Amino acid sequence: MFKKSLLAGIVLSLGLSTAVQAGEYPSKAITIVVPSKAGGSTDRTARLFTELAEKNYEGFEFVIKHIPGSGGQKGFEAIARAKADGYTIGLNFTPQLVAHIVSKRAKYTLDSFHVMGNVAQDPGIVAVPKDSKIMNMVDLAAAAKAGSLTVAVNGIGSDDFLAAKSFEAAAGVEFNLLPTKGSTEQKAGVLGGHVDAAFMNLSQMIKQHKAGDARIISLLTEERDSHLPEMATSKEQGFDVQMRATRGFVAPAGIDAAIQGQLDDMLTAIMASDEFKANAAKGNIFLLPQSGADYLAYLKGLQADTQAVYDKAPW
Amino acid sequence: MFEYIQIVFSFEALLTIAIGTVAGVAIGGMPGLTATMAVGLLVPFTYTMDPTMGLMLLGGIYCGAMYGGSIPAILLNTPGTPAAVATAIEGYPMSKQGRGALALKVSVTASFVGGTFSVMILLLFAPFLARQALAFGPAETFLLALMGLAGIVSIADENSSLIKALIAGLIGMIIAVIGTDDMSGSLRYTMGMIELIDGIDFMPALIGLFSMIQMLELAGAHSHAIDTSLIDKQNKREPMPKGISKHIALGSGTGTLIGILPGEGATIAAFISYNFSKRISKVRELFGKGNPEGIAAAEAGNNGCVGGSLVPTLTLGIPGNSVAAALMGAFIIHGMIPGPELFNEYADRTYPFIISMFVANGVFLIVGLTFAPYLARIALIPPAIMVPVVSAFAVLGSYALNNAVFDVYMMIGFALGGLVLKKLGFSLEALILGLILGPIAEGGFTQGMIIGHGSPMIFFESSIAKVMWVIIGVLLIPPLYSYLKSKRT
Repeated sequence: MFKKSLLAGIVLSLGLSTAVQAGEYPSKAITIVVPSKAGGSTDRTARLFTELAEKNYEGFEFVIKHIPGSGGQKGFEAIARAKADGYTIGLNFTPQLVAHIVSKRAKYTLDSFHVMGNVAQDPGIVAVPKDSKIMNMVDLAAAAKAGSLTVAVNGIGSDDFLAAKSFEAAAGVEFNLLPTKGSTEQKAGVLGGHVDAAFMNLSQMIKQHKAGDARIISLLTEERDSHLPEMATSKEQGFDVQMRATRGFVAPAGIDAAIQGQLDDMLTAIMASDEFKANAAKGNIFLLPQSGADYLAYLKGLQADTQAVYDKAPW
Repeated sequence: MFEYIQIVFSFEALLTIAIGTVAGVAIGGMPGLTATMAVGLLVPFTYTMDPTMGLMLLGGIYCGAMYGGSIPAILLNTPGTPAAVATAIEGYPMSKQGRGALALKVSVTASFVGGTFSVMILLLFAPFLARQALAFGPAETFLLALMGLAGIVSIADENSSLIKALIAGLIGMIIAVIGTDDMSGSLRYTMGMIELIDGIDFMPALIGLFSMIQMLELAGAHSHAIDTSLIDKQNKREPMPKGISKHIALGSGTGTLIGILPGEGATIAAFISYNFSKRISKVRELFGKGNPEGIAAAEAGNNGCVGGSLVPTLTLGIPGNSVAAALMGAFIIHGMIPGPELFNEYADRTYPFIISMFVANGVFLIVGLTFAPYLARIALIPPAIMVPVVSAFAVLGSYALNNAVFDVYMMIGFALGGLVLKKLGFSLEALILGLILGPIAEGGFTQGMIIGHGSPMIFFESSIAKVMWVIIGVLLIPPLYSYLKSKRT
């Protein structure tokens, strides 16, 4: 590892100092910015990585820095602003990363980052109370046409909100949208029967669905999901609505290519390991490994889709 | 069940619980360090621990921190958590009278009883109660916040002007308007500052309004606030006041019940318990001047929330408050997803965890009772030492909340603004209550209106709502009546 990066540094011939810098990398702990609270799913995703990275790569040490709040915006900005010396990288999550750009609140663009790759995902779902008459997406569209349905989404501009808006457009209906503060309120609303339906994420409801406390009526992904294989996607049910939350690694743009390459390779190698997969399954984290290039393409597409929703109904 | 008890009473487990609890008491006692933060930061570290031990450690922190908040509230008028603000209203005047040791004893005993009762309820009735709590929707949340806000009247009616207390509460609610409007996603009065998007955090406000102002006032005084001769005289083991058990029981029940409901539990629970206890007290005129009954109800109330908040967390995956949410992260990291599985497949971890909280309550009872007379002497530390130390903690604590210097400025801003208001006779307790409960009331109200499709009838429909209106009436009408009567004479 040492030799390889030293060599890469010289080949790039960006001067002696760079070569030395690359050769000595890392000379101190690398900070990983987690733009949410300690103990949350993004934090757990970061820890999955650092645990194996510190174990398998000698000399690498990581410090996790939490910058919670404002839907990740503070944290994303901190990553974009950080010195591009390879000692600060961070996690991002979608669609908030692009939603802040679209709503013109962010002080960054996608170009501010080097996208390292995606790690985890959480498929969008639609859930209804357990004794609801709505059994599938066709029922949902019909019920929404017959009378106003109260539908909970986790805040304006969230993945749930975008998915609900997308379904409204696809089915030609309009919901009585109920924005909540966090998925906990959504869960309480569905389990207590205070709302007619909720657009949420799979990890938040899968146990309640299996226990019979609530009912998931569709997945909002391209294909079915191995965690709930019997569940039909919305697309199969006639409504092409797709939404998933993703969580991946990004770095500030402009890091020395040798150093960045080293970090990118490390991420790819760790995500491919069986130990990583086992730990993720235990921690209720759904993996979706994606290379930096693929993930960047996904982010660009998502930004365009989000822009379309924002142009119709800005928030 | 016996094997679970055995797990808890192994040396390793007992040591873990004791460490967690004592650390929790210290965390709860320091301004700016919160149980939510401590549990959140420790969750990843339990990853490498035995799951049962890790959970016991966190449970101990939760129990300890809830009690720990009351110690500086009583001794220094600097509540470590917002749930201890009501405790400070009665506790600090007792300290000034040299009865700090008794106040600490009442507080630890009430915390113990409230905490133990709530864990008992959690152990015996969790699944049943969680299902009942689901009937509690946004409309009822709004009413609960109103019940908490009724505490403003209770803070005011004996000692200061009712109008000024109401204005202070309103100022708190107005400050709480800053931030993102959750219903539309639009920004309110954030002035383009990213730090304000989430609104004003109540912790810097709490630290500024209480810890910092207290230090500013102390710095202005020539000697300690407390007459030294009193403490030695009173320290000769003043017995527990008669009839206090009634208030402890009231607080325990109220706290556990409110803890089970979703939302910001402990602060509301403490204030509602305090308010109830004032209504049933025979010596109501002593409230605000150092009545141990108020401490008993408030502390039993906030510790009752501990077990209560875990009822929906463990059975349904709906955390009752932010600490319970962080704790839920610890369960998930060990592959224990809340739901029925916790009580069958993972029973050998879940039940020892619950049982360990009885031990945690016992640990802080012993610690609290043993050290109460010594802790009471903290109030005797000269201002020249006390002021810089507490101020340093106030700054550090504000920074540590979000790793943001902005929160430090916020804390100082609250201290300066609050000092002016306090000198003018406005109640800062009312202000913080408005700041914390305003957003909860707003969220419940707007969500209720959406669910009701724009009709306010939703706030009167359910039988829970009707009962809550009656309680609100009981809390508000007698003080209003006595206020009007006093105006006339």
